[in-house]
Amino acid sequence: MDFRESLTMAVKTLTASKLRSSLTMLGIIIGNASVISMVGLGEGGRRYINEQLQSLGPNILFIVPGNRETRRLGGLELARNLVLADAEAIAEQVPSVIDVAAENTTPGLISFFNRNANASVIGTNPAFITVRNFTMDQGRFISDLDLQRTSAVAVLGNSLAERLFEDQVALGQSLRINNIAFEVVGVLELQGSNLGVNYDDAVIIPITTQASRIVGRTSPYGIEVSFISATARNADSMQTAEFQITNLLRLRHGIVDPDEDDFFIQNQDTLLSIADTITSALTLMLAAIASISLLVGGIGIMNIMLVSVRERTQEIGLRKAVGASRNDILIQFLIEAIILSAAGGAIGTLLGISGIGLLSLLTPFEASASVSVIVIAVGISGSIGLFFGVIPARQAAKLDPIVALRSI
Amino acid sequence: MPTLINLSHISKLYGSGNTEVKALWDVSLTIDQGDYCSIMGPSGSGKSTAMNVIGCLDRPTEGHYFFDGQDVAQLDDDTLAAIRNRKIGFVFQQFHLLPQLSALDNVALPMVYGGVAAAERRERAAAALQRVGLGNRLMNKPSQLSGGQQQRVAIARAIVNRPLLLLADEPTGALDTTTTEEVMAIFAELNQGGITVVMVTHEPAVARLTERVVWFRDGEVIHAHMSPSDVSYGALVE
Repeated sequence: MDFRESLTMAVKTLTASKLRSSLTMLGIIIGNASVISMVGLGEGGRRYINEQLQSLGPNILFIVPGNRETRRLGGLELARNLVLADAEAIAEQVPSVIDVAAENTTPGLISFFNRNANASVIGTNPAFITVRNFTMDQGRFISDLDLQRTSAVAVLGNSLAERLFEDQVALGQSLRINNIAFEVVGVLELQGSNLGVNYDDAVIIPITTQASRIVGRTSPYGIEVSFISATARNADSMQTAEFQITNLLRLRHGIVDPDEDDFFIQNQDTLLSIADTITSALTLMLAAIASISLLVGGIGIMNIMLVSVRERTQEIGLRKAVGASRNDILIQFLIEAIILSAAGGAIGTLLGISGIGLLSLLTPFEASASVSVIVIAVGISGSIGLFFGVIPARQAAKLDPIVALRSI
Repeated sequence: MPTLINLSHISKLYGSGNTEVKALWDVSLTIDQGDYCSIMGPSGSGKSTAMNVIGCLDRPTEGHYFFDGQDVAQLDDDTLAAIRNRKIGFVFQQFHLLPQLSALDNVALPMVYGGVAAAERRERAAAALQRVGLGNRLMNKPSQLSGGQQQRVAIARAIVNRPLLLLADEPTGALDTTTTEEVMAIFAELNQGGITVVMVTHEPAVARLTERVVWFRDGEVIHAHMSPSDVSYGALVE
């Protein structure tokens, strides 16, 4: 008996009991749909994070306080913070670097007349706008003079400006940050969320002003900053810049043993690889959880097939009596199991793809079903049919025709 | 006529030691091609076991069974399946039709396993159904047919591969008198056409329509060439 015959026979048998066949498939359908949508979601998350990281530009370096050791421990061990002077030294002494920005973020209460807003107060220096590649919507960014004079000037993120001033002109207005008066000198263009920091909903002030008037404390080494970002001259000088910054900071911090480094330099690539590790693990975990339902679906198929062999004992006996070989029976039952799981897989795939569409609407991730995942998922659900179909099919093939015919 | 079935000192034992049961004991029997023969005997006499051995559904414990000149006593399952497919047609008391298939597909089933092409299958199955008088019921499912019609579909299935032997196990056991006569008429006609017909039955009226009766008792052949008219005598022997 050739394969095509077996296929038509199996289809006839399966369509003869439609309700049972569809219920059997349901497990695989759900399993496959969840695998595909979960992996799609994970992939969407990964792409979202990657896009955010790539928008930073290839030439940017982040210098973050702490060392590998403390970072691994979750920062429990206190490391010496970076200070503004470190940033200034990098700007002056590292030739492969163009611009250096220092950033220090604190929460603050911003108020304009009777309107209040909780927002991040970011103290930084004028190079910030070039390093982060931001643009102004109105007015100007903070200047070197502001820094020297610790002027009370503020640049508003776009959404914050809208929230506080609505249709009024923000420029030249006086607002209060933690009850200290600042003059609005500029408004940033809409930037979108950036690595979890929403610059649209922040107010930017000179870092010196922030240190002396808002934070009110500095480290013994100077004005503390959360991190320093720097742009290298070009992509080729990234390694040079990293090397030179490392040397300079070790010198400044009096570090001899590289293991004692109290700062850490990250660039787009290292951030990408960190994010990649995390999102891959997340995707894998989602896929693993979803796979369990696929497995359960497979067991459901085995269960129904076993019952089916019992019920169809006479049919099997008759088939054998009229000349079916063991293989004919084995293949027939295997094909039935494979059809159930493959059809379930196909329907589940369609469902999974529509699920992904829905997820894309509900989350900022542009989730998508990759062809490879679909191929793998359908392949896996087909093999599940094969795997879980073997035991029932072998039982059927082993039946003795005399015993099978006599059973009623 | 040449010999089709030659059982030579066939024994079939079940279990071992104290619980050993001799279903067949040293049975020797020949049936020629073209014979129309019934196997009778009380229940437990071994006639069903003999039928299974003759039909290549079961292997004897001892002895040789030459079917169509070939010793089939100890062949493996798949070889026996192939022999059944090509040379033997079965008719059962319970018809054993597949409920999900049409009459045509049921009849075509042996040819599916015989590797016959689909177009030829349809043609031959239709012809076989025509032959048993069901040419107008090709697409009916078994549930849409009467008992007698179902048994005629089963007969069509049995003859569709042009077997040497038609083996029937209580073929009229589930039928009323009228349909029994119809079915027996078909058997007689097929036998006229040259097919060897062997049936197991416990109905003397049915056995009397055949040409020869083989009488079994306690796993042994008591009469190998009984005249059908003496069936009541056989019953008396019991």
